[in-house]
Amino acid sequence: MMGKAAFGALDAGVQRAAVIGAGSMGGGIAAQFANAGIPVDLIDIPGEASRNGPAEAGIARQLKTGGFMSPEAAALVRAGNTEDHLGRVAEADWIVEAIIEDIGAKRDLYARLEALRKDGSTVSSNTSTILRAALVEGLGARFDRDFVISHFFNPPRHMQLLEIVSGPASDPESVARAHSAGRQVLGKTVVDCRDTPGFIANRIGCYWIAMAVLEAERQGLTVEEADAVISAFGVPATGVFGLLDLIGIDLIPLVWGRLAETLPDADGLQAYDLAASALSQQMNAAGRLGRKSGAGFYRKAGDGSREALDLASQTYRPLDRQGKPGDLRALIEAGGRLGDYAWTVLARLVTYTASVADEIAHDLPSIDTAVALGYGWREGPFRQADRVGAEFIATRLAEAGEPVPELLAKAARDGGFYPKGQGGSASAAPVLAENAAAVLEDAGDGLGVFRIKTKMGVFSPEVFDVLEHAIGLAGGKLSALVLAPGNPRAFSAGADLASFLELAEDPAALDHFLSRGQAAFAALRTAPMPVVAAVRGLALGGGCEVTLHADRVVAHAEARFGLPETRLGILPGWGGTTRMYHRLSDPATGAVGPAAVAARTVDLLLPGPMTGSAAEARAAHLLRAEDEIVMHGDDVEGVATGLARAMATDYTPPVEELLAVAGPAGMAGALSATRAHHAAGRVDGRVLTIAEDLAQVVTGGAAGDPSRPILEGEMRDLERAAVLRMAARDETRAAMRATLKQ
Amino acid sequence: MSTDVYIAAYTRTPFTFARKGALAGVRPDHLGATAIRGLLDRTGVPGHEIEDVVWGCAFPEGEQGLNIGRVTGLLAGLPDTVPGATVNRWCGSSIQAIQMAAGMLAMGAGDTFIAGGAESMTRVPMMGFNIAPPPEWSSELVSDFINVGLTAERVARDYGVDRETQEEFALASQKKALAAQADGRLAAEITPVDTAAGTVDQDGCPRDTSLEKLATLQPAFLEGGSVTAGTSSPMTDGATALLICSEAALKRYNLTPLARIAGFGVSGCAPGIMGMGPVESSRKALARAGLKMSDIDIVEMNEAFASQAEACRRELDIDPATLNVDGGAIALGHPLGGTGGRLVGKTASLLQREGGKYGLATQCIGGGMGIAMILEAA
Repeated sequence: MMGKAAFGALDAGVQRAAVIGAGSMGGGIAAQFANAGIPVDLIDIPGEASRNGPAEAGIARQLKTGGFMSPEAAALVRAGNTEDHLGRVAEADWIVEAIIEDIGAKRDLYARLEALRKDGSTVSSNTSTILRAALVEGLGARFDRDFVISHFFNPPRHMQLLEIVSGPASDPESVARAHSAGRQVLGKTVVDCRDTPGFIANRIGCYWIAMAVLEAERQGLTVEEADAVISAFGVPATGVFGLLDLIGIDLIPLVWGRLAETLPDADGLQAYDLAASALSQQMNAAGRLGRKSGAGFYRKAGDGSREALDLASQTYRPLDRQGKPGDLRALIEAGGRLGDYAWTVLARLVTYTASVADEIAHDLPSIDTAVALGYGWREGPFRQADRVGAEFIATRLAEAGEPVPELLAKAARDGGFYPKGQGGSASAAPVLAENAAAVLEDAGDGLGVFRIKTKMGVFSPEVFDVLEHAIGLAGGKLSALVLAPGNPRAFSAGADLASFLELAEDPAALDHFLSRGQAAFAALRTAPMPVVAAVRGLALGGGCEVTLHADRVVAHAEARFGLPETRLGILPGWGGTTRMYHRLSDPATGAVGPAAVAARTVDLLLPGPMTGSAAEARAAHLLRAEDEIVMHGDDVEGVATGLARAMATDYTPPVEELLAVAGPAGMAGALSATRAHHAAGRVDGRVLTIAEDLAQVVTGGAAGDPSRPILEGEMRDLERAAVLRMAARDETRAAMRATLKQ
Repeated sequence: MSTDVYIAAYTRTPFTFARKGALAGVRPDHLGATAIRGLLDRTGVPGHEIEDVVWGCAFPEGEQGLNIGRVTGLLAGLPDTVPGATVNRWCGSSIQAIQMAAGMLAMGAGDTFIAGGAESMTRVPMMGFNIAPPPEWSSELVSDFINVGLTAERVARDYGVDRETQEEFALASQKKALAAQADGRLAAEITPVDTAAGTVDQDGCPRDTSLEKLATLQPAFLEGGSVTAGTSSPMTDGATALLICSEAALKRYNLTPLARIAGFGVSGCAPGIMGMGPVESSRKALARAGLKMSDIDIVEMNEAFASQAEACRRELDIDPATLNVDGGAIALGHPLGGTGGRLVGKTASLLQREGGKYGLATQCIGGGMGIAMILEAA
């Protein structure tokens, strides 16, 4: 059974999509439509053994490589072939072409699509090398109106950038649909590009790789030295040589060669013709193609150690590990071989980007966003330049007698490409309460926004100070509350393990810590205001438990939920075990009767569930059907805020529920699976003990009785007592210490 | 008036693997209704003349709740006037159902009964959804009740049935079943089931395996144990239906009986060695029929596990040539509440097909019981 579509996905003008070409890009794009709950046709050429074989293989590849956020999503992808099923594109609002980079093949396909597709549908190409103007030539006004380039990055699920290229005759509605569906359905950050070779990210990225590689060779740096310097730019640890190994050195002639062919002779890239370089030709001739051939600029030696290629002699030697380079400007000012190289790379990058900015993009943020997201940089070239200092760069260039592009000169005069105080930072929301660990913001009209500021959003006593303050304002100053992520990586990773271990030494203090969390979360649930949790990144342990107490959760599709407590020898003790028992009591989840619910709760919590997506969390009942999944992480808080405001107009808080429990008679059933696994040697005695503790809680303890439902608070008391008992065990503390060390 | 009771006819649905098999999507009451319709089609007995539907089910909960015996009769198209009862003696449920129909018949409370049973181990898990034994029971006793795999290990150990012997037993069962399937000997008793994905008319459980393959399997229930998935009966979906008649009814409907019921016994033993249940129950049934094991030509003994089946075979001194000649539950599957009907129906059919005077159908029952029925060729 499929869950509902992602929030806002059905409003983006794409009820059904089609993707032609089931390679890793096409399959990945189709999977991403399905991840949002949008049905999609995936169509490839007919296979020999089976007509739909190639498309089915594309779906299977995505299942294997993690393109789907849950296996159920694959049911939304319908496999077909171009001979029997191309007519299905008539149902699609957006048709994405992701076939081979052959202009003739693409145009032939477009001509066929023109006869089949419905009026007003959008057609797009995932080309990375062919210009839009060339693709639309001779295909008529209707096609020209509805066709854009939609350039995704690999893998489509995880790479956040989507470059869109429209044309002068484009239908604004079609372009708008690509934008809104790109964001709301596919979860991408959409950047408008001009119709130029390589668009934005690859134009700058390819230049940067070619320049950095050839400059390193020219300046006599080793590959390790160059990659270490490059890491000072806030780019992934692969640097440039490692990145080329990843891309595949055999692709240099194809990608860089083609780009050089299509760019004018005066373009800065021509000075760094990587495809024509002796280095590329030597490597290709020797079959050193990077990771795919087991050896490139780096390789793993027979004994498992890493080796690096000596560029001059083309032989491998043991890796010469480099230290962290530190701040980029300091590195440049320090000079020397490494500093000079850092300066060259920065100066060339900024000069080139500034000189082509108007040609490739409509504005500077487009370039910074595209390069940062497309290549995984912390920030794009202009923001990097600002960090080092635009004036510093311009002055140094001028001193060296090198040309300073007008855009850079202007930035040097204005105090940066993004001068401070110029429409930049939005004015901060007024603060209702704040300490070092958390903040409660006033978002207006009675909406409070609570945010944890600690590292990874861990819950400390100070966090509870602010949370309790917020709960105290319910029904007065506050009519709704959003629990917002403190940073994009973590909503909250729960309790801090180190402080938990300290508390475990003092049972009274631990009891107080548990009671406080239970009371705060329970009060959050029954407070006279709707509470909406806006989750992106991690929601683990207590961070997941707090979401179980919210009226509604709005989760980024890539958010990761988990209740890993049992892995450390305890159980969710801030009301989470009780909430899960209550949640699994809902007949809609399939269990019947309190003994069955107890068994399901134990079986669900015992492995310490951790999910890799919101869809998986829904399958594990950590999210409910009424919770919302949002495809773009930056939209989570806005959707949550909107929902909270809407819910506040007519809100009745839930009350403490009565829970039917099986009592001691339910222990056998709650433990039957674990005991069978234990007898067969599949789990050890420690796990069985944890299961017994869990089972005692969810069967209502020694006094539990099917004829006497208990209040949630009574189950929370059992939960707390269990954690106290479990935390006192030596093996629990040992497990926690071992985890801390990791 | 004769009080002899006859097995007038027998059919069953195909037996298929729980969860992954072709019948996983079919409710157990629909499985049973298909078997009952197949039975009436074979015999031409008018549905409204059935006295009662006596129906076995091991875990009458969920889709098997609501008195599945009554529900199944109504789904089969029997009129409102034909009642239905559910009989629960776990794995022994449908032999018990046959015996209860026979008992009613023998005391003159009707002369034409449908008996049988069904289980969807896909749709209602073994041991049911809500396991709640008396909390004062020790965890060992609870385990003996609900982890029957461990009882099979205990029997293997206490009765000296080693892993190789179990695997030889299991392989023989598979080979007999595959040969019977290839010959159409199984198809003769099967009523096909229509599903959304098409008609299912073949058993799904028999596997072409080998001693080498069996030897690679990990112990399924006990660390360091000897019982594997290959030497255990699989979780199975299926249903069985038999027509139980008096002599008068046979004449009225112009039916040739398969066999006469000649004896019955049910017995208890320690729950922890439930697999040995057939020994005492078979001895009781033989004694009541005035027979010795050497008088028996056909034996259908359930293979819950190879260890217990082989141990019982040795204790009862059963000639392997007479035992489970078309394969047993290790190969064919064991839909708990439906199995006993297959054993009785098969024994009766084999007496006809193979010749011979007496047959024994017997099985072990979780919780520490055995059940046995003696049939005489008719």
